[in-house]
Amino acid sequence: MTGIRAMVVGLGLLASGGAVAAHHSFAAEYDANKPVTLKGTVTKVEWMNPHARFYVDVKDEQGAVTNWNLELASPNVLTRNGWKRNSLTVGDEVTIEGSAAKDGSKMANARVVKLADGRQVFAGSSGGDAPPPARR
Amino acid sequence: MMRTTTLALALAIGALVVASAQQTPPAPTSPAGAGSQNRGPAVPQGPAPRLPNGKVDFGGVWQGGGPVGDIRMGLAKGETIPIRPEWQAIMDKRMSKEDPEANCLPTGVPRRDPYPWRILQTDTHTFFLFEGNIHSYRQIFMNGKHPEDPDPTWYGHSIGRWEGDTLVVDTVGFNDRTWFDFIGHPHSDKLHTIERYTRTNMGTMTIETTVEDLVVYTRPFKITFTARLRPGEELMEYICNENNNWVGNITGPAKEF
Repeated sequence: MTGIRAMVVGLGLLASGGAVAAHHSFAAEYDANKPVTLKGTVTKVEWMNPHARFYVDVKDEQGAVTNWNLELASPNVLTRNGWKRNSLTVGDEVTIEGSAAKDGSKMANARVVKLADGRQVFAGSSGGDAPPPARR
Repeated sequence: MMRTTTLALALAIGALVVASAQQTPPAPTSPAGAGSQNRGPAVPQGPAPRLPNGKVDFGGVWQGGGPVGDIRMGLAKGETIPIRPEWQAIMDKRMSKEDPEANCLPTGVPRRDPYPWRILQTDTHTFFLFEGNIHSYRQIFMNGKHPEDPDPTWYGHSIGRWEGDTLVVDTVGFNDRTWFDFIGHPHSDKLHTIERYTRTNMGTMTIETTVEDLVVYTRPFKITFTARLRPGEELMEYICNENNNWVGNITGPAKEF
């Protein structure tokens, strides 16, 4: 596993360019009130614009496998936050905290991605598509 | 524990987003040098630099300077946006998936995307190079003239002049296809913007824009946003259309932002 190289989640990182880097509204696509925690195996990584994505096979209690589509920020935002194109690779065992898509599809905006060995990375996606700021 | 941490992070992000809506915080340096704990160099202070011809040098990579989520965040305290009711009704029906920006089309003026951008000055032109969204540019003809009947375009036809140390950019000839923000504030092809760029110090630039579109708004209104210098930063490639295949999953109305 190439894995994630010594990345630390920190406020400094959140304050970086990743804090807001969206090309569409977060709230229109994801429900901040529908947090999901997913555990599974990375099956595919798309290091592409406008959002990097990765796909994870998640097994339920009955053993049925569902492939989830996880949205991240753009590769540029992730790069500025310390990611590399191979920070996540096929076969990695990951735990993801994120917000599920409003339309009920097996999609989520990944906020935190944690590797099997405990290392974790801010996905940049809440940055990538930031939660809505308070309205005046 | 994980959940608590995540919640704390979410709150922190939320706070930062609020803070950055009008004034984007300093960002890290170039990718190669960006450690994950690196807050990036502090925004430099000191007077704005000058070109050999004595004009203020706006050169550098900047962040922010225009509306992203809601143009009203740039209004002076107590001001309201003078949108006509029939256009408010149009705006209220807009769906986020219809946002030109979500479809990898340009932001237009005065909207900004939260990606860095660079200013390049020559004697005849000023260029804004945008990393995103989209990976495009604006050209401002210094001391130029608007054509009699410009073809409508996404960024319009821009002419620039100096008022003291302020660069004033006058733009007409827009199409009516861009939104001012995520929540879908509209404009017509009669839009006319006057942007006033002032580099108040080395690291800070205020952009005050007068938005005049009497088709959609009952009177001109002013918005002010601040751009921050990103010292040491370089623009990166950003090709939005590369893999934008999930716009259909954005099911919410634009106003939900």
